[in-house]
Amino acid sequence: MKVTFPHLGTMHIFCKAIAETAQIPYVVPPETSRKTLTLGALHSNESICLPFKIILGNFIEALQLGADTIVMVGSGPPCRLGLYDLVQKVILEDMGLRYRWLTIPPRLTWQAIWKNYEETKELKKELSWKNILLFPYGLRMGWKKMMACEALEKLAMKVRPREVQKGETQKRLKKALSGVDEARTLRMLDETLQRGTALLQETEQDFSRAPLKIAIVGELYTVMDPHINRGVEQKLGELGAEVTRTSWFSTHILRSLRKNKADQTSERIRFFEASKAYLGYDVGAECNLSIGEAIVRSQDGYDGVVHLMPFACMPETTASGILTRVGKDWDIPILTLILDEQEIEGRIQTLLEAFVEMLQWKRKAA
Amino acid sequence: MALYLGIDVGSITAKMVVIDEGDGVLAEVYLRNNGRPLETIQQGLEILSSRLGEKASIDGVATTGSARHLAAYLVGADLIKNEITAHSIAVIDLFPEAKTIFEIGGQDSKVIVLRAGVVVDFAMNTVCAAGTGSFLDQQAARLGISIEEFGRLAMQAKHPVRVAGRCTVFAETDMIHKQQIGHSVEDIVGGLCDSLVNNYLNNVCRGKELLSPIVFQGGVAANGGIRKALEKELETDLIIPKHFGLMGAIGAAKLVKRVKPVRTQFKGFELSRKSCSTRGFECSECENQCEVVELLVDREVVACWGDLCEKYRKSSGLITG
Repeated sequence: MKVTFPHLGTMHIFCKAIAETAQIPYVVPPETSRKTLTLGALHSNESICLPFKIILGNFIEALQLGADTIVMVGSGPPCRLGLYDLVQKVILEDMGLRYRWLTIPPRLTWQAIWKNYEETKELKKELSWKNILLFPYGLRMGWKKMMACEALEKLAMKVRPREVQKGETQKRLKKALSGVDEARTLRMLDETLQRGTALLQETEQDFSRAPLKIAIVGELYTVMDPHINRGVEQKLGELGAEVTRTSWFSTHILRSLRKNKADQTSERIRFFEASKAYLGYDVGAECNLSIGEAIVRSQDGYDGVVHLMPFACMPETTASGILTRVGKDWDIPILTLILDEQEIEGRIQTLLEAFVEMLQWKRKAA
Repeated sequence: MALYLGIDVGSITAKMVVIDEGDGVLAEVYLRNNGRPLETIQQGLEILSSRLGEKASIDGVATTGSARHLAAYLVGADLIKNEITAHSIAVIDLFPEAKTIFEIGGQDSKVIVLRAGVVVDFAMNTVCAAGTGSFLDQQAARLGISIEEFGRLAMQAKHPVRVAGRCTVFAETDMIHKQQIGHSVEDIVGGLCDSLVNNYLNNVCRGKELLSPIVFQGGVAANGGIRKALEKELETDLIIPKHFGLMGAIGAAKLVKRVKPVRTQFKGFELSRKSCSTRGFECSECENQCEVVELLVDREVVACWGDLCEKYRKSSGLITG
C-alpha cells in the first residue's frame, strides 16, 4: 500500500508526516506545475473549477509514481467541490488507473475513517499492528507540523512588507518550511520551528514602514494554495502590504471536527453574523464568510480586501456580486480576482499593483 | 530642456511619446506589434530619434503596458508602472474633473473610477478578452475591411442586428448567421458594436458607479461605432482625448518626469541599430519546469527572467550572490 494526498499549500508536509510517522508507505505528488494542470484539465470537464483540475492533476501524477491509495477530504454540498471526490473517483477509474479511495468525511472524526468504511476494513488487513499503534502519534506529528507551517507562514506575512531585499522573506520561508518537512521527531520539530522563526525574524527589515493592511478572503483552496492563486499573498506582501487570511488548514479541520478553539469560532461566527445584513441564509462554502469578513475588516480599520475565486465557482460568484455593494456601504476597496487555467500572472500583477497604489492614495488623502 | 520618454507596449500595439517639462508631446509613435514587440520598440526608437533630431537626449524613461518588463529590460527604464496607474495619471492632469475612464485596448478593457482626481475603484477583464480590440480587428479582417472602415460602417447602420456578445466565439457564429440570411454588413457591424458595448458595461463595469464626465481612450476609442454605441447606452457624451491611443505612454512619461532620475538608465536611441532578440527554453532541472527567457543585445545576454531559482541569471552574471 502507498498512500497519496493533494499537493495543496503545505498540506503535503503534514500528510506526509502522518504517513511517515505511522510507517505507512506514501507518495508525495510532485509539486504542482504546468504539467499537473495540463493533466488535470485534459481529464476533467472544461467548465469545472481550477482547484478541481489541479487536485486531479496531483492525483494522476501520484498514481503514475506508484501510489495506490488516495486520501481526500469531502465536504459535501452545496459547493461543487464538496462533491468532487466522487467525480474525481469516476474520472480516475475511467482513465484505467487502479487505486483505493479514502474520503475523509467532513462532519465526522478522524476515527470514523477507521471504523466506518468498507475500504478501511480492507485496509486494516494490510496495515500492520505497528502502523495502527503508531497512527495516533502520526496524527500528533502531522498536527504539530501543520501548526508549525502555519506559524511560519503567518510570520512571513508580517515580515514581507518590511523586508529590505525584495524576495528575501520568501527564500527564508521556503528554507524554514523544508526544515519542518525534514524533522523526524517532535523534539527535532520544536528545534526546527525555533530556527525557522529566528531565520524569518532576522530578515533585514525596515521598521519605519507602515504597511497597508489587506485581508484575503474567498474560496478556501484558492486562498490557501499559491499555485492556484499565482502567489497573490507573496505578491501583495512584496508590494508592501501586510496580508491576513482566516482560511488555514487548521481552521477548516477544527471546524469539521467541531472542535474550534473559542477565538476561531467566535471569529467565524462574527463574520457570519455580519453577512446577515446582505444574505438571509447560508449560501454555502465560504460565501457568507467572504462577505462578512470584508465588513468586519472594514470595521477593524483594514485598507482593503482581495477576494479570490476560481472561475465559475458558484458560492463565490454570489459573494462577488454582493461584495461590490459591501465595498460601497462600508467604504472599503475590494478587488475580486477570478482565477482560471490561463497564464494570467502578468495581469494579476498589474491589478495588484494598481490596487496597492490606489490604497496608498486613499490613505494619504485620509 | 529635459525630455522624458514614455513607452506603452500592449498586446497589439506599441506606443511611445517624448514629452518636455511642460508636458507638451514633442514626438509620438503608434505602431502595430505584429507579434514582435522587440523589433517594434527598436523601430519606434528609430522614428523618435529621426523626429527629435540626433542631439536629443532623454532624461528619463518609463515603461507600461502588458510588456512593460520586457520593454524595460530592452531600453533600460527608470520606472516600470502598471497601465492602470499610467492611464489614470494621464487623465487626471488633462481632465481634472473626469469621474470615469473607459479604456479599451487590444486585449484589455478597463474602467477606472475617479473622484476628486483620485482613483477610487477600477476593474479590468481577467479571464475573458471578449469585446476588446483584437476581436474587432479579427472581424474586420474576416469582412475584408480595414479597422478604420469598420467604425465608419458601424455608424451607418440603420437597424443594427442583435448579436450575442457574451462570448466572441458565439458572437461570430451569430454574425455569420445574420450575414447568411441577408442582413447588410453595416447592420451586422453596428450590431456587433452594440453587443460588445453591452458586454463591456455588464461585465467589466458591473457594479461601478459610472458618472460623467467620462473619458474614453485606448485604441478602440478611434472606433466611431463603439463610441456611438457607448454614448447611446449611457445617454451621455464621451470625452475623447486628442492623444486617445497614447494616454498610457503619456502617463508613464509624466510619472518618470515626477521622479526626475538623477542619471537615466536609458540605453540610447542607437539601440535601434543593434541586434536584439530573445531566446526561450523550458528548464527541466526540477519539477518547476520554468519557462526561461533570455534577452540578447548584440549576442550578449543582457537580461533573463522566468527562472525561479535564479540559476540562469546567476550564470549570466546578471545577479551576484
